[in-house]
Amino acid sequence: MRDVAIIGAGSTVFGKFPETLTYQLGAEAGRAAVKDSGIDPREIQFAYCANLYGGMVIGQAVMGETGVTDIELTNIENACAGGAAALTKGWWDIASGRYDLGIIVGVESMTTSPIAGKLIPPAKGDITGELGMNMVARFALSQRRYMDTFGVSLEQIARVSVKNHRHGCLNPYSQYRKELTVEEILNSRPICEPITLLQCCPATDGAAAVILASADLARRYTRKPVFIAASVLKSGDYAFRWEDITFSDMTYKCASSAYEMAGIGPGDINVCELHDAFAMNELQHYVELGFCKRGEEVRLLEDGVTQLGGKLPVNPSGGLLSKGHPVSASGVAQIAELVWQLRGQGNGRQVAGAKVALAHVVGGEVTGLESGAVGVNILKN
Amino acid sequence: MKTRVPFREGLFEEITGEVSLVGARCRKCRQVIFPNRDTCLNCMGEDLEPIHLSRRGTLYSYTIVHMPSEHFDPPYAVGWIELPEGLRIFSQLRGWQEQPLTTGMDMTLHFEKLWAEEEKEVFGYVFRPSTNGGA
Repeated sequence: MRDVAIIGAGSTVFGKFPETLTYQLGAEAGRAAVKDSGIDPREIQFAYCANLYGGMVIGQAVMGETGVTDIELTNIENACAGGAAALTKGWWDIASGRYDLGIIVGVESMTTSPIAGKLIPPAKGDITGELGMNMVARFALSQRRYMDTFGVSLEQIARVSVKNHRHGCLNPYSQYRKELTVEEILNSRPICEPITLLQCCPATDGAAAVILASADLARRYTRKPVFIAASVLKSGDYAFRWEDITFSDMTYKCASSAYEMAGIGPGDINVCELHDAFAMNELQHYVELGFCKRGEEVRLLEDGVTQLGGKLPVNPSGGLLSKGHPVSASGVAQIAELVWQLRGQGNGRQVAGAKVALAHVVGGEVTGLESGAVGVNILKN
Repeated sequence: MKTRVPFREGLFEEITGEVSLVGARCRKCRQVIFPNRDTCLNCMGEDLEPIHLSRRGTLYSYTIVHMPSEHFDPPYAVGWIELPEGLRIFSQLRGWQEQPLTTGMDMTLHFEKLWAEEEKEVFGYVFRPSTNGGA
């Protein structure tokens, strides 16, 4: 397999833009990534566009506005992991030798989607969905069990949101740039108990894009290519094999495969963007991603290890909690953030000396399975 | 009078006045699955025996939802019920206003109206906190 580099990254500012159409968001990110890479968009050989709610061939509309036509273009839906799925497919298209240059876009407009103002349900007709399941309830059930069986408190969980909102203040792309207190978070209105509003990521509109190139081609355009050391995507296994809803088997398995592919371990990661759709998720993912043993995750947070300035900053962008979560865009936006971190372009949120980075997203709900999809990508200088 | 319809065919059946959830046990690997199917999802074996799942279980986790869903107005409660057969069933929870929910409490299966549509009343399974002596 050939080495694959990322030679360009771009993003819209994340926020609520009900007047902006989905394809316009995608094209803004696509053009920014093309400009950042220095390539002529007409050289691009393939594209993947991740999107959930935008409608028919949205990627063609995005690419048409970016100057990319008459190529192999595939639209991808994998819920919150759509962006990661698109990256994995693009990585393989180059690693396998089929193509040398491609673009990956993730885009979502939640404010104009059919579920605007609602809690995201599973697909129509899903059994648990019909019985009242939604994405917040799914994780509220995990959080209830987590608090009751491991003795983790709401105050401790809220501190994840405090940290990530503090990080978000430093990121010009972030939807929210405002510090929050534990009290504000716990006193915000209940959504699915014990999850309150400010333990949740917001509804967000936005897009992000990256340009992928074979290593040989990358060196023609940049002296600082960022390489994809591992790219792994997994669907969920049957829930009857899932022992404990406070520990994601699929994230654990996906991360283990990614570390093996990259030939490194969790101790080698310098910076991480992970799926903090709800504050509690971040603590559980520390364990599944191997950053600490079970029972040590609260200490990792409270000791400041995972805040900017700590040994392993997690979600320096503000994460989904503060930066926002335009569903299919998030997986690509994490990659853009980590490319900037590895290039030393993180400005006020730069993780000093970052050389190896990990991105993790998970998403989708379907009866009978742990979850829809999970993606783990490891980047390095 | 509205027509009474199950929210999904094949998930439960009524025999001699008692309604039960219908799952299946694989005769090869012993895995119990719900709903009932022709093929075991664990080992792909095709020798399955339909079984009536236990009507009592414990509350593995629960949440009270404060926003509407397609069929339910807030607040409503849902949760995972752990059955002795070793599987978890996602269900609407009822009776939580009278008896507060706690993780690990005993729960009992009931069949009730889930929601109403124009011409029909949709019914299905719910779990309620077990009363002394069982339901």
